[in-house]
Amino acid sequence: MENFIDLILDPLNGLFLKFKVFVPNFLAMLVILFIGILIALIIKRALMKFLTAISFDSWSDRMGFTKLMRKGDLWSKPTATLGTIIFWMLIIVTLMSGLNALQIPAIDQLVSQFFSYIPRIFSAAMILIVGYLLSGFISRAVLITAANSGFHYAKLLAKAVHTLLIVLILAMIMEQLQIAPSIVLAAFSIIFGGIVIALAIAFGVGGINAARRVIEKDVMPKREEETKDEIEHI
Amino acid sequence: MSDFFQTGIITTLHQLGKPSLERLESELHEFSKVRPIALVLPSLYSEFEGPAMPGIVQELAKVKYLNEIVLVLDKASEKEFQKVREFMSPISTEIKIVHNDGKRIREIYETFTRNGFNVGERGKGRSVWLAYGYVLARGRSDVIALHDCDIVTYSRELLARLCYPVVNPNLDYVFCKGYYSRISNKMNGRVTRLLVTPLVRSLQQLVGPHNFLAFLDSFRYPLAGEFCMTTDLARVNRIPWDWGLEVGSLAEVHRNYSPRRVCQVDIAANYDHKHQVLSADDASKGLMKMTVDICKSIFRTLASEGVIFSDGLFKSLLVSYLRHAEDTIMKYEADAAINGLKFDRHEEAMAVEAFTRAIGMATQVFMENPMTTPLIPNWNRVTSAIPDIFEMLQIAVDADNKQ
Amino acid sequence: MKTTTFRAEVQEQLERIGQADIIVGIPSFNNARTIGHVVRAVQGGLAKYFPDHKAVIVNSDGGSSDGTSDVVHNSSIDDFNAILLHHRVSPISKIVFPYSGIPGKGSAFRTVFEIAGVLGAKACAVVDSDLRSITPEWIELLVTPILKGGYDYVSPLYHRHKFDGTITNSIVYPLTRALYGKRVRQPIGGDFGFSGSLAQYYLTKDVWGTDVARFGIDIWMTTTAIANGFKVTQSFLGAKIHDAKDPGADLSSMLYQVVSATFELMETYAEVWMPIHGTEPVPAFGFEYTVGLEPVNVNTVRMLNTFREGLRNLGEIWFDILGAGDFGEVERLGALPDSEFRFPIGLWAQVVYDFALAFHKRKLPVEHLIKSMTPLYIGKTASFILEAKDMGQTEADAEIEKLCMEFEKRKDYLVANWK
Repeated sequence: MENFIDLILDPLNGLFLKFKVFVPNFLAMLVILFIGILIALIIKRALMKFLTAISFDSWSDRMGFTKLMRKGDLWSKPTATLGTIIFWMLIIVTLMSGLNALQIPAIDQLVSQFFSYIPRIFSAAMILIVGYLLSGFISRAVLITAANSGFHYAKLLAKAVHTLLIVLILAMIMEQLQIAPSIVLAAFSIIFGGIVIALAIAFGVGGINAARRVIEKDVMPKREEETKDEIEHI
Repeated sequence: MSDFFQTGIITTLHQLGKPSLERLESELHEFSKVRPIALVLPSLYSEFEGPAMPGIVQELAKVKYLNEIVLVLDKASEKEFQKVREFMSPISTEIKIVHNDGKRIREIYETFTRNGFNVGERGKGRSVWLAYGYVLARGRSDVIALHDCDIVTYSRELLARLCYPVVNPNLDYVFCKGYYSRISNKMNGRVTRLLVTPLVRSLQQLVGPHNFLAFLDSFRYPLAGEFCMTTDLARVNRIPWDWGLEVGSLAEVHRNYSPRRVCQVDIAANYDHKHQVLSADDASKGLMKMTVDICKSIFRTLASEGVIFSDGLFKSLLVSYLRHAEDTIMKYEADAAINGLKFDRHEEAMAVEAFTRAIGMATQVFMENPMTTPLIPNWNRVTSAIPDIFEMLQIAVDADNKQ
Repeated sequence: MKTTTFRAEVQEQLERIGQADIIVGIPSFNNARTIGHVVRAVQGGLAKYFPDHKAVIVNSDGGSSDGTSDVVHNSSIDDFNAILLHHRVSPISKIVFPYSGIPGKGSAFRTVFEIAGVLGAKACAVVDSDLRSITPEWIELLVTPILKGGYDYVSPLYHRHKFDGTITNSIVYPLTRALYGKRVRQPIGGDFGFSGSLAQYYLTKDVWGTDVARFGIDIWMTTTAIANGFKVTQSFLGAKIHDAKDPGADLSSMLYQVVSATFELMETYAEVWMPIHGTEPVPAFGFEYTVGLEPVNVNTVRMLNTFREGLRNLGEIWFDILGAGDFGEVERLGALPDSEFRFPIGLWAQVVYDFALAFHKRKLPVEHLIKSMTPLYIGKTASFILEAKDMGQTEADAEIEKLCMEFEKRKDYLVANWK
């Protein structure tokens, strides 16, 4: 009989013990969450105060960031937007630390994965920003140089360069974030190769005449080639 | 029917005979291919519930030569904004509504403020200015025409005649102001008749011949809210955001262009609109506020052109104005008598009394602070400080109109 | 004042020379073909016109590999009697050395200024090493106003073909003139005279690590002299013929160098040029004569084509810089047939001011900004060539004068929008 009662009490006992361990952890999580949210709020407040003091909004208006926000139909103040972003990032970190306090192995693993993922997110963001600026810069340089030499399709060329760079950057970001690396690699090769082949075919089919002219111009001696302008610009 | 007398230093285009509207519109249609026209309509939501707006929409639906219409809607909720969009839908011309109270446009105003631009308080001046900005931002029109939305007697001939002088590339006008008589069973338009004209003439008497006064006196209806101009002018003009809007705009036109390139045109045989209530006690309301603002605007313009105002001059001005105004009343009494119009001499005298007080108030405000209501900066200045502002404004308006 | 220390042999030479009245600087880089002529002309000029002054020729070389230095060493006038009335008192020394610092004409000049300081020179002149038309008189014309006229800076006047020097004529001259109020006709001429004190003043400016050292030195010297109130004059030198420029140097880089240097100076001297209204003539020395106008080959059809392609492709960039109004005008130009193509001078002035403002507000990276101006400049140049096709020199000059007046008239716009 005693055995039987033990049989019933043991699991209950075990459950109780686990519960006893769990409750402080749970409380710890609540405290962490509470403090975390509080800190996040304070930081958000302080950050927004600081940004307003250095007239970040006005700076953002002039630097074109506000325009980017408006393009995405985001109509709050730049300071408020930045404050909210920072706030939610802090909340996520808080949430992760809170969950960690529960000391449940599955969640633990998730959390540690999350934290080890942060550097990747960071570097992906860096790649995105730098890449975005750089691709704009390069494609504009291509546009201006091509247009100055009187090339009719300068805009198209610049667009193509821009697209290729963006594809490249996106692939780099995906790779950095380790999102289905093999697929990304394959997709990238296919898209990139596809674009090149498409361009080649397009030029080959649509541009036979143009190509002929180009070749003729280069191969034929420049007999009646327009004489060079003789004016001095400086 | 009118005479063909040319007044003052600007050109006056009269209505002579019965010009064909059809010919006018077909010519406008041709010209507008080279000089596309934008129509700017400053409006309050309340006007959509009034009697004038249905007529205006009905007429505008028949107009084919406009390139775009920009309606600035003030004092309207989101729901009312949607109603207005619905209301305007019979018009086939591309129409954009600037929703002044929408979150996007509010944020745009906020952007001006935080970059150090004082665009003033809510009102026609500010709305009109923002509409110019939007037209400039789109860069699709060369000419901007503008009229109020409370004209009960609206006909599309008014619009055609208003646009014609600036749109016709063979006439070299950059600015054209409408004029008309304001008669119902009596004479309306008191502020022009009894305030502006007598005041301008008294000033001329006191400070001697002056370019701006001669310019202002040339307009048959300087306070008319109907005008048409090139977008270049809209770009460089600064406008006051208070009731000095009309006079202040004329001052800016005078500052930037030769009178040779300015004209006025007879736009309507008859015209009627909502009347302001005369409140003699409270200067910040109705006609009184308007009068004070107009006087301040004239004083400031003259001061900026080197006229020196002193206490003595202002005292003489009051006396001189009163004399001129009383003479004017007599003239209009005779004018009313021959035309069989009702003429309440007492009411007219009361108005002059109120105007005299308003001039007194304006001189006081002016002496205390000659720089009172500042002008809204011109768009050239704004775009140089906030290069993206045009694009942002365009995104805001287009997004509001897409939903 | 920070100075570069001279290499030992130069130091030695300088010590041996001790003191000099006149320094003539010739910057060079692979100019073996022409520099001999230049050195002889300079020697001749010094010997003929300044026999009583101690003079030094300084060849500041950018590391030529074609034997430029040897040519300088070996160049001398064999028979002085041919040009001289009497022999000079002291011989003319020559200092030949490679300069240090960022490669460029500016660094070369810097060492010339420094040598002038060490030797206590009263007057200096610099001339280009690729000149074919230089005569001994040039030295007299560049140096005399300094030594005898009490001037600090002598800028050149040339006679050039009406279609030559278009960057000067349509941008640099009208702009500098409207900004600083002095009608200096060739602010980027390349051949200048200046006083010893101005040379020392130049050295006090901390610009030798910037683009001034590389390519902006000409406009920098002129502007610095005008903006700081030095006494400026001009000398009529005659024709300017020089060795064909490097054919590989493309127009947009040239435009970038000249225009960015000019715009950069607008930043430095904003306080100086803002309040200036109107312009005044600058006195000129020398005997002015006209040169013939032989027809030149210009393909305006191709130029207009470049303008239209530019409009098609760079339209959006221009729109941002010019704003809707002026861009609309430019767009209208694109639709004109070749025969009717005319770039209104008022619009051009506006375009230049708008680019200056965009530069000031850093709307785009500088190189992109100015290079994107190239098709506009080509359009304007083509328009001028079409207009001035049948004009004589005087009429063509009158056209440039009209353009300058437009720049002056619209300066208010620039000032009002600068902030």
